[in-house]
Amino acid sequence: MTKSIEAMWKEGFMNEAHLSAPKINDLYNRKSQNIVDKLQNMFVINIKAIIVGSLIMFLTMSLVGAPFLGLYICCLLVPLIIIAKKELKKSVNLSKGQSSYDYLMSFNNWLKSSIGVYSGYYKIFYPMFFLGMATQAIVSRAGGKLIALLVEVFPTGMIILGQPYYILLALALGTLIFARYAEAIYQWDLNMVYGRQFKKLEELITDMEELRK
Amino acid sequence: MGSDFYQLSILPFAGIIIKICRAYTNSQEDFEDYYQEVCLQIWRSKDNFNKESEWSTWIYRISLNVCLTYLKRRKKGDKEIVSNSLPEEAIDDSKAFISDEINQLYSAIKHLSETDRAVILLYLEEKSYEQIADIIGSNTNNIGVRIKRIKNRLNKYINQKD
Repeated sequence: MTKSIEAMWKEGFMNEAHLSAPKINDLYNRKSQNIVDKLQNMFVINIKAIIVGSLIMFLTMSLVGAPFLGLYICCLLVPLIIIAKKELKKSVNLSKGQSSYDYLMSFNNWLKSSIGVYSGYYKIFYPMFFLGMATQAIVSRAGGKLIALLVEVFPTGMIILGQPYYILLALALGTLIFARYAEAIYQWDLNMVYGRQFKKLEELITDMEELRK
Repeated sequence: MGSDFYQLSILPFAGIIIKICRAYTNSQEDFEDYYQEVCLQIWRSKDNFNKESEWSTWIYRISLNVCLTYLKRRKKGDKEIVSNSLPEEAIDDSKAFISDEINQLYSAIKHLSETDRAVILLYLEEKSYEQIADIIGSNTNNIGVRIKRIKNRLNKYINQKD
């Protein structure tokens, strides 16, 4: 190599033809491929899906004779709407015109705080959702038949709230399992979609922090 | 996007965007995607421009920040993958730049970490250490040392290829 990299760069771009801009097609309607926009869109879609989903849930449950379960699920979903709206508001402060380090840091902080808020709620949501569904199953006609069969096979005199004790024990155990693993379920789901991006973000921040020392 | 905004505020600075996007992409298709994303984000962020820095500095910042946090589509399916995750053998120096030397230099730049790519691009664009530190958000004192290290790596890579 005879030329310096500075000379290679300068001479390489002396000819403007090397810098012809690609055609821009309908840019205004283009969907963004930036992770911040993607997550913001996810929050918007979440809000809409939760509203529609909770209405559908309520109507369906009412039609199958379980309006209280429908209402219960609606009540569980309302905090998710509030959380999604709040998180969406926070993300507005993420200006892409900051320095790269500041931008990545503010993005990372927003991400961590959002994941923390969502995880916190899912710790309540998943077990409560399970509890509602399981309770409905127990009090339903089919559930009643199944429990009667179980009592025949495993007879017990220990009846609590009209149910054999082991049914309530299973209910409590299921609820505890969902509470214990709710955060892990949410994290797993998130990592499936954005895991590599999160890892890249960490590496970038570490590298930039070295430059700041 | 208003075509006036693109013509007046982006197109005169297209060179900056092209040079940066090229360093973070491995094919013409990706390059065009990144270019359009940067233009989209410049347009979206235009109201946040506070005129404390120059418009060109703003474009450098947005271009780099977009390239650092871009999601690329897989060829099959619709899920995104992280940018710059192609294996080394997939790095195809696009034919957009006619000069072999520039292609050779870009090929070397693509072997650097993403932060180092940003640093060297700004250096080659003749930005001062202060400006580089300001755009990247780092300490001015470390920029000089880092540039020296990056240049050594680039020279080593280019000499190996010669």
